[in-house]
Amino acid sequence: MRDFLINKLRAAKALRFDASRPEAVNKVHSTGHLTARERISHLLDPGSEVEFGAIAAKDSEGEWVPERGGVDFIGSINGHTVITSSTDYTDRGGGYGAARLEHLISLSHQERWPIAFFVDGGGSRARHPRTGLGHLELSGQIGRFTLFDGMAELSGWAPTVAIVSGPSFAGHASLAGFSDMVIATSGSAIGMGGPPMVEAALGLTLTPQELAGVEMHERTGGIDLLVDDEPAAIQCAKQYLEFLWDQPEGQPHPFAQNIAELVPESGPYDVLPVIQALVDTESVMELRPHFASSVVTALARLDGKAIGVIANNPAIDSGVISESAATKIGRFVELCDVYEYPIVSLIDSPYTTIETPEGPKPGVSRWHTRVFQTQQRRTVPIASIQLREAGGFVGHLMAGSPTGHHVPLWQVAWPTAHLGVDDSFTATRNFDSFDDVIEPQETRSGLSRLLAHVAPSADRRAGQSTKKHNIDTW
Amino acid sequence: MTEPSDSDPRDQIIAARARALSGCASARRTIRLLADGGSFTEYGLLAGRTTAVDDDGPSDGLVSGVCEVNGNPVVVAAHDRSVEDGTHSDRNMRKLAKLTTIAITNRWPLILFIEGDGSRTGDPRPVPPIVNYTRARWDVLEGLAELSGWAPTIAVVTGPSRDSHNALAFLCDLVIATSDVDFGSRIDPTVSVSATDAAAQGHVDVLVDDTSQAVSATQRFLSYWHDESSNFSPAESAADIANIVPENRRRAYDMRKVIEAFADHDSIFEVGAGWAQSLVTVFARVEGRPVGIFANQPLSPRAGAIDSAAADKASRFVEWCDAYALPLISFVDNPGYMVGPDAEQEGIARHHARPLSAIHHRSVPLYTVQIRKAYGLGPFAMSGYGASRKMPELRVAWPSVESGGMSLEGAAYLVKRKEIREADDAATARTIRDEYAEEMRDVASGVRAGRTFSFDDVILPEETRPLIASMLRRSNRTLPPEKLHHIDTR
Repeated sequence: MRDFLINKLRAAKALRFDASRPEAVNKVHSTGHLTARERISHLLDPGSEVEFGAIAAKDSEGEWVPERGGVDFIGSINGHTVITSSTDYTDRGGGYGAARLEHLISLSHQERWPIAFFVDGGGSRARHPRTGLGHLELSGQIGRFTLFDGMAELSGWAPTVAIVSGPSFAGHASLAGFSDMVIATSGSAIGMGGPPMVEAALGLTLTPQELAGVEMHERTGGIDLLVDDEPAAIQCAKQYLEFLWDQPEGQPHPFAQNIAELVPESGPYDVLPVIQALVDTESVMELRPHFASSVVTALARLDGKAIGVIANNPAIDSGVISESAATKIGRFVELCDVYEYPIVSLIDSPYTTIETPEGPKPGVSRWHTRVFQTQQRRTVPIASIQLREAGGFVGHLMAGSPTGHHVPLWQVAWPTAHLGVDDSFTATRNFDSFDDVIEPQETRSGLSRLLAHVAPSADRRAGQSTKKHNIDTW
Repeated sequence: MTEPSDSDPRDQIIAARARALSGCASARRTIRLLADGGSFTEYGLLAGRTTAVDDDGPSDGLVSGVCEVNGNPVVVAAHDRSVEDGTHSDRNMRKLAKLTTIAITNRWPLILFIEGDGSRTGDPRPVPPIVNYTRARWDVLEGLAELSGWAPTIAVVTGPSRDSHNALAFLCDLVIATSDVDFGSRIDPTVSVSATDAAAQGHVDVLVDDTSQAVSATQRFLSYWHDESSNFSPAESAADIANIVPENRRRAYDMRKVIEAFADHDSIFEVGAGWAQSLVTVFARVEGRPVGIFANQPLSPRAGAIDSAAADKASRFVEWCDAYALPLISFVDNPGYMVGPDAEQEGIARHHARPLSAIHHRSVPLYTVQIRKAYGLGPFAMSGYGASRKMPELRVAWPSVESGGMSLEGAAYLVKRKEIREADDAATARTIRDEYAEEMRDVASGVRAGRTFSFDDVILPEETRPLIASMLRRSNRTLPPEKLHHIDTR
């Protein structure tokens, strides 16, 4: 009797492995993708995985068929615990069973473990058998998280990373939309309504790419990173999550001493090499690089410590801060604030712009003022370095109020900074408001000495008894 | 004008005050319109353009102080274009910083009348010890950000506004503008965004004809913050509320009529009517208690579907009501989030999460009335998810409710796709779809919705007002002792 039970269990467990379904695996591989389990094994430290719902199955006319809507694990990345989950589109388009994900979200909330999920698929599996309608039970299950309020609650508390490497629509797209970080692979798509729904609603027959391709999202800000394939996406997810933990040291960039050469006295220049020269070598991870590129937002390390960098980029549109650029700054500041990454702000921008029918024009709108609010609420330290210009509201957007209640940790300028007094908002940003004017090559050492006084982000996070605020999805 | 006597400081002051009071006539007139008679206490009357006693820039173009409006204290500041084109100087901004601080300390509403040409060119910086250096105090932009979500801030744009004036306006909770103003920049004088265009982009909440209407709107808006009214009656149309939704389930109707019939007579104050028209947001009263109502608008071009703009509008309104401790009521009738290539380019996959998040993070009660369509994730944008940690306090439906993963027509299309594609003409195709949709109607019906406990109850339309009024009676409005969060400006 006991042998019978154990054999039955072993048989059930054997079914969960890719080896037991070669046809499905071949099908996945032939499209250039990894299977759900391969994705997880690329992400987690070998031997660290704990699987949830390993033998979950559904009753199909008396037969228990393994449940492959997805796989769920706890494991670690370089020794740090994460939760991960992958949809399995070889099973019914990867339609999720919400209960699975809700369990992971509850666990993430409880332990503050990051979640990284692979979210390709077409939304909820629940469909009314006759009509094709999903009938949602809107009340009940008191006190547990559901997908949407769960993701809202995680935002700003436990880091969430969505990896999209196929068509991702409806509920799956919503999971991506809620996530702190969205990494997509070329050719995938993210949309609220998939092709069938769009055909039904608007009479348009479109491929997922035509409807909501990630190449479009890369330009319009819907995703953070676009990479070639799943292994690259998984690598990025790891790199992103590892910023949560400082490293003991970091290597200065060989060009650090020559940083001044990268910034001409006037005219355009690309700010990315300036950032690279300033921080630890090979540590820069730029987010949303092709959206609102007149401002650069990047995670990086300095002496091994995770920092966030915001920089105006005079190479694009003279570095003006458009409404989209403001959005990009605001969301990044929120991210750095909740995860306690000190911010380094490199300022060089003439003014803010608004969208008009004739294109971008100088002006200020609510898309900018909301960043004043974000900067006012921020409590993570910020160091601002004015390279050249800080016209109009640029200083407020990039570093918050220079004369406010919550002062920047360090506010310095390079000798190339324009210090003309021409209006009252910028006047207070001038000489007597700067903590120092420094030579460019002193910037790294100055920041390094300053950051020595700031507790590691992991310690600062441990000091948060509740979450500071969510990270706005826009 | 009498020359100030060199020897008598008393005469000097009397003369200087008289001179200052004779200036900024239009700003002073506006404040008189707003304030309860004789209640205005001015700050910085003598703070002129320069430090000289015989300064000829009265109040440096910014009349500011504290007054009462309908008996309640508010902080007010009015720009006046008669002095240096209403520009901002170090001096008048320090005045405003002081008043912002007073508003923060006392949790008093701040009202800014705004017109002017941005920052003053060549403003001489005052030197200590005449003034204190401003570092580590509230600067005005930071002060307004701090005030957001703590006490109401109202911008009334009364004339052309440039640069820093726009920034002040767009940091306020409520932006009222007279229709003749424009928003621009001195960096490029050709830039001119009309008040109507600004309203269409969601930057202006309320458009009015003139300053006196603007002042009335301000007074009315303040009433929702200040208190309940014991003087109320149902709307004239209250008894007819059941007749607003047409029998034909495919015909549109005006959601504003439902809100009017539901709320107290003459109690509605709509914000953001100029943009995201598939969503209606109003402040109103029910049995005298102030509430915030947000509702889908079936009559709008997108038939109430929630696009990125509507998601932003809903999210901001929920944060707004939460900060003001106003209970929320939503009237739901939407075919879901907007889908299609345009909606995706507008970023709906990102923006859709904002109202869900705002609703989840709220502290005020939410009462939801499902009137007709509840498809896909659309209803969650209006009520949060039903089975969750933060569910709506009450979720009821009218008998006209229909719900599901997608619209009945959409589902019918997918089920009958083959037949529809093979139909001889468009009319036949539509008939096949619509007939099947009708057939499915009972599956998604109100009675079924009630039986599956998808709703707390399915009620008759005329029961809506008494039911929600009873819930409001049970929940006292209390302002949170600490600021919960700011109200996102967009």
